[in-house]
Amino acid sequence: MKCKQIQDLLSSYLENELSSHDRAVVEHHLKTCKECSSLYIYLKETRFSLESFPEVDVSENLSGRLYMIHKKSMEKKKKRFMRLDFLTMPSLQPVFAAASILMILVSLYTVYPDQAGLNRTVDRQLHLGYNKIEKLYAQAESLTSSLGEHKDNILYSLKNLNLFGGGKEK
Amino acid sequence: MLVDAYSKKVFNLAYQFAGGYEEAEDLTQEIFFKLYNTLPKYDFNKNFTAWLLTLARNHLIDQYRKTKWEKKSRDNFNEHLLAADSHMNPEEDILRKESKKLIWEGLNRLSGNIRMAVILRDIRGKTYEEIAEILSLPLGTVKSRVNRGRIHLAKILKEKKGRGNNEM
Repeated sequence: MKCKQIQDLLSSYLENELSSHDRAVVEHHLKTCKECSSLYIYLKETRFSLESFPEVDVSENLSGRLYMIHKKSMEKKKKRFMRLDFLTMPSLQPVFAAASILMILVSLYTVYPDQAGLNRTVDRQLHLGYNKIEKLYAQAESLTSSLGEHKDNILYSLKNLNLFGGGKEK
Repeated sequence: MLVDAYSKKVFNLAYQFAGGYEEAEDLTQEIFFKLYNTLPKYDFNKNFTAWLLTLARNHLIDQYRKTKWEKKSRDNFNEHLLAADSHMNPEEDILRKESKKLIWEGLNRLSGNIRMAVILRDIRGKTYEEIAEILSLPLGTVKSRVNRGRIHLAKILKEKKGRGNNEM
């Protein structure tokens, strides 16, 4: 193998990741090639130096700047939440409850197996209710007209009764 | 809080990549700003650290392309890194300090993509699989980039130290 090919394998050789065949080839080359052997020594030193680079502490100034970003982000999130805050108002709870019941009824209706029968029942009940209202309305009409006939008598009686300070003067 | 848990990781990644302390502070701030804006889009099935590092990596590479940091010089190694390196003993100090300094400066000679792969593997200690996830690249490409980066740095070390030894 040429030096370039061996150099491509040097990191894998250093980290014990080569097959036994490739390892033997690299070892043989390193024994015979001064250039690559010397490079390998410096490669080991490079890795050691990099691995022992110390960690630098974060300055107070930078920490302060980073906390400020965190604080601003939290405030932004809080503002976004406050825009929807009205949804938690107690006065809206009955509205939400009614909406929930309506949604449950609608969803039950959509999955009800005998929708046609249900429609007929609802239709019948509505008509019955409508008929009752019509009858009540007719009764109210007839009562009004019969009261109209006796209107003068009733007014006369009311005037002669001692109600609300009215009545005949003595 | 995200700031407490991840600011040091993000800042160190930015510092190792960009090489300038103040630049890294600005970049960290920009990355956190993006993080808080894109947090609602985070998929909870994904690894958060990998997701954050992908976000950081995208921002760093974008800025690198815009400003071409490789033309700028990195901070003096002694300024912040040596002060933070409490594990060094005096003997190691002499032997390793020079190598670390050369490697630190040499990182600027790597392209953005290769530099990022080397930093994630050797400084951040990520596995190749994790790096492939962060960079959205095939495993083979990641391994190749890490090897190319290491070889490049080793050649710089060999050139500079070899020359120093010959001069002695």
